[in-house]
Amino acid sequence: MTMHLRHQIDVSVSRRGVIRRRDFLRGIAAASVAAGTLSWRDMVALQARELQQRGMSMILLWMAGGPSQFETFSPKPGHENGGETKAIDTSVAGIQISDNFPHVAKMMHEAALIRSMTSKEGSHPRASYLMHTGYLPTANVKYPAFGSIVAQQHPRAELDLPAFVRIGSGRDGSGGGLLGVEYDPFVMPVAGQLPTNAAPTTSTPRYTRRLDLLSRLESENAAAGAAFEVDEHQKLYKKASRMIMSSQMKAFDLEQEPAAIREAYGDSQFGLGCLLSRRLVESGVPCIEVTLGGWDTHNDNWPRVKALAGQVDQPLAALIADLKQRGMLESTLVVWMGEFGRTPRINPRAGRDHYPRAFNVLLAGGGIQGGQVIGSTDESGTEVADRPVEPTDLLQTFCKSLKIDPKFENIAPNGRPIKLVDGGTPVDELFA
Amino acid sequence: MSAQTSYFAVRFDCQEREILNVTSAFSHLLAAFLVAMALLPTAAIAGEMGAEAVAQRADALLAEEQFGGDAQTQAASAASDEIFFRRLSLDLIGAPPTPAAVTAFSLDPSPDKRRKAVERLLADERFGQNWARYWRDVIMFRRTEDRGLFAARAAEQYLTDAFNNNKHWDQIARDFITATGDVQQAGTTAIVMAQNGNSEDVTAEVSRIFMGIQIQCAQCHDHPTDRWKREQFHELAAFFPRIAVRPVRQDGRQRSFEVVSVDRGPKNKKNNNVRRGSLEHFMPDLNKPEEIGKQMEPVFFVGNQKLDSGKTDQERRGAVADWITARENEWFSKAFVNRMWSEMVGRGFYEPVDDIGPDRDCAAPKSLEYLADRFAANKYDVKWLMQTIALTDAYARRSASRVDDGSAPFAAACPQRLRGDQLYNALVGVLEIDDPSEDGQRGYRNLFSGPRGQVNATFGYDPSVRRDEVAGSIPQALFLMNSPQLARAINAGQQSTALGKLVAETLDDEAVVGELYLRCFAREPKAAEMRTCLDHVQSSSDRAEAFEDILWALLNSTEFLNRK
Repeated sequence: MTMHLRHQIDVSVSRRGVIRRRDFLRGIAAASVAAGTLSWRDMVALQARELQQRGMSMILLWMAGGPSQFETFSPKPGHENGGETKAIDTSVAGIQISDNFPHVAKMMHEAALIRSMTSKEGSHPRASYLMHTGYLPTANVKYPAFGSIVAQQHPRAELDLPAFVRIGSGRDGSGGGLLGVEYDPFVMPVAGQLPTNAAPTTSTPRYTRRLDLLSRLESENAAAGAAFEVDEHQKLYKKASRMIMSSQMKAFDLEQEPAAIREAYGDSQFGLGCLLSRRLVESGVPCIEVTLGGWDTHNDNWPRVKALAGQVDQPLAALIADLKQRGMLESTLVVWMGEFGRTPRINPRAGRDHYPRAFNVLLAGGGIQGGQVIGSTDESGTEVADRPVEPTDLLQTFCKSLKIDPKFENIAPNGRPIKLVDGGTPVDELFA
Repeated sequence: MSAQTSYFAVRFDCQEREILNVTSAFSHLLAAFLVAMALLPTAAIAGEMGAEAVAQRADALLAEEQFGGDAQTQAASAASDEIFFRRLSLDLIGAPPTPAAVTAFSLDPSPDKRRKAVERLLADERFGQNWARYWRDVIMFRRTEDRGLFAARAAEQYLTDAFNNNKHWDQIARDFITATGDVQQAGTTAIVMAQNGNSEDVTAEVSRIFMGIQIQCAQCHDHPTDRWKREQFHELAAFFPRIAVRPVRQDGRQRSFEVVSVDRGPKNKKNNNVRRGSLEHFMPDLNKPEEIGKQMEPVFFVGNQKLDSGKTDQERRGAVADWITARENEWFSKAFVNRMWSEMVGRGFYEPVDDIGPDRDCAAPKSLEYLADRFAANKYDVKWLMQTIALTDAYARRSASRVDDGSAPFAAACPQRLRGDQLYNALVGVLEIDDPSEDGQRGYRNLFSGPRGQVNATFGYDPSVRRDEVAGSIPQALFLMNSPQLARAINAGQQSTALGKLVAETLDDEAVVGELYLRCFAREPKAAEMRTCLDHVQSSSDRAEAFEDILWALLNSTEFLNRK
């Protein structure tokens, strides 16, 4: 209980949280609610979280640009649309994937494929936003990325690190949104180093002295009419300095991994990102997103996808195997996806263009039954032939895996209640 | 004015709070004199309605509505000169005052020095730039795609010139509503570009930005808490169906986008959306979303003015611009007055500032009504309005944290977190670091490149959000505490830094502390603060390092990050 209490109190760093509570209480004319340490809504939240099964995490491997389904997990070797890509057998009889993924093929019994993803959005930013949030971008409501939702729904009292870490460069426009900056992704441009500005520029004793000096000087301003601002600021600084002084920061130091493990993940940036994400999950971070860009293969599709797949194949397989070996796979949902797929027809520049109508996603862990394929496309790969899965269905599936209530409502600044996921149904067959 | 002037050793009598020791403040006094000479008001503010008289009347109305007619006892007293002056500088020109300017202001014995300071700062070129950046953020924080940022710099440029030349708000609104052209040249295309030319999103933004009305809530259903009907949103959208955003190519490469009117032929069809690509706006049938729906005629929901069907894009947008900015549309003036009041006083009559209207609660309706009416009568003169607000007692009060202690709104000013650009200006000023020119930077990512861009990316926030809902973030704290750039800039061992020079040239520790407080907070340290700082210096083995610690603490403090 103490841990939960500590979290609930920490959360009040979020100005939004405080205000929302206040507005809420005002709304029900609850002026009589005693001004104890915890508000009424805190108590409700506490009880809800007590009941909630905890410890679920998510690792999203985000393939920015839109990976070709044909050259990844939905090859069509017999059809002209399939191009030169070959299909190979996997550890599961009857499931074949492209020959660009020999390592993943050996782990197929732990992973499931959805080959019938379908959406209407063919522009990168809109489709990325849709796949991250389940909503289309609007001017007036900034929908939170799913990673921010996981961070909000799976608070970890014992966590000193940010609850949503995004590894790799690239901005996709989604973040904490209406949940506030507390739930923005903490961006790590490069795996294998400390996060930006996380190391004090002075010795630790001097840094501590500085913080102490700051705190003493702040008291004057607090007394001069800025008590609330100073209090919030101090909480934020405590949180930031607790983070950078925390032993959990060791998670960022990949040198601590045994050579064999490092070798298994490979030394590509993406591989290091996958390794880091496993270490962060171990430290209690509930959501990590690792980005690999470059999938927008309008020309020279085959050599480019081969090179990209070469960066993904080994680390993805290693990540699943490593999580499994540590007994963490059941509680960690691993998702490989991009914003859309690519045209079945090969264009004159030996490329494929944007194609949201039929694409694919790979999932593993988090209660997903591996070794199965959901849905299919027709022979030419043009249309979903069976079991279409829309972006909201996919997000519902994430919720089911992570034991998050998709009907939970947040309140947008304009007062509108916003469901975590609006519409859609989970792909129940994925679960054992 | 030479910034060097303020390095001279200056002793402050810290026992007498907020009163400068004149005899030893010679250098600041000299600088102050020069400042006063250089900045004498050059342009009289157009104010036929008498800003001071309107300010007084607004205060009287506010007292009536909020304080039972007795603001003297029911509201906070006036802030000190130093607090007022830093507030005013940040609000009007987006930067804190220099130590010399604060000293000049504090020592000026004339009773109307606040009025003169307002006039001076309104005539400063940074006024236009500050508010241009504010409105750039208002527009760009709601972009639906990052490529909307292509228009950001041009918008900033247009608005800087417009505000400095005191182009009136109705003219600015009209320019934005009717804009066409290359988005990197015609900054007025920014609202359309930020919404990627989508008619419904542009409709929502025009209503939100210029009238503060969230009519788009009625897009899918009748508004739950307002009188607006679903039809009314779609009738408004019928003014904007013929806008398109197109790539501009040069030498075979795309170099920009342009906003164009499409009055014939189909616009590009996209994503199998039957309604897109039409020259008219259609309201979808909620039961049959796959069908095109009902064609809407343009009607402006506030005054019910109608436009005949079949008009061109420019005729439609011109007509709606006329009706939005017409004197009869009270929401046009109320939205602007409410927003500016909220920015300056720290709390709006309506909150959030972009969700107002006949069915919303207004904290002091008569006061807002009066100010909005005078603003309209003064032909939407922006500088006049800012001057008026700056001259009210409500603006000049001491600030207090906004907490639910039962006190009436506007009983005190509210602390405001600095926007990214204000903070950057403050850092550049305090640390005397070079601000690289941003000329010639094009494309959409450049808004967040360079030092200003990085500070904006980390500290920027949507200025339409209620200010007490804007929270600080971990990356902000990490930047201020640990960024190598700031560490270099406060290195006192280097004569090339402002602190290095100050510490080397000033042997009197008290004077250094005083100077640092003036620089960072535009005020002198209080006795307790001075003692804390001097104790720190005495207990440190290295004097230069001790002052690095002090400057570090001041830059990381709430007072630096806020304007009181």
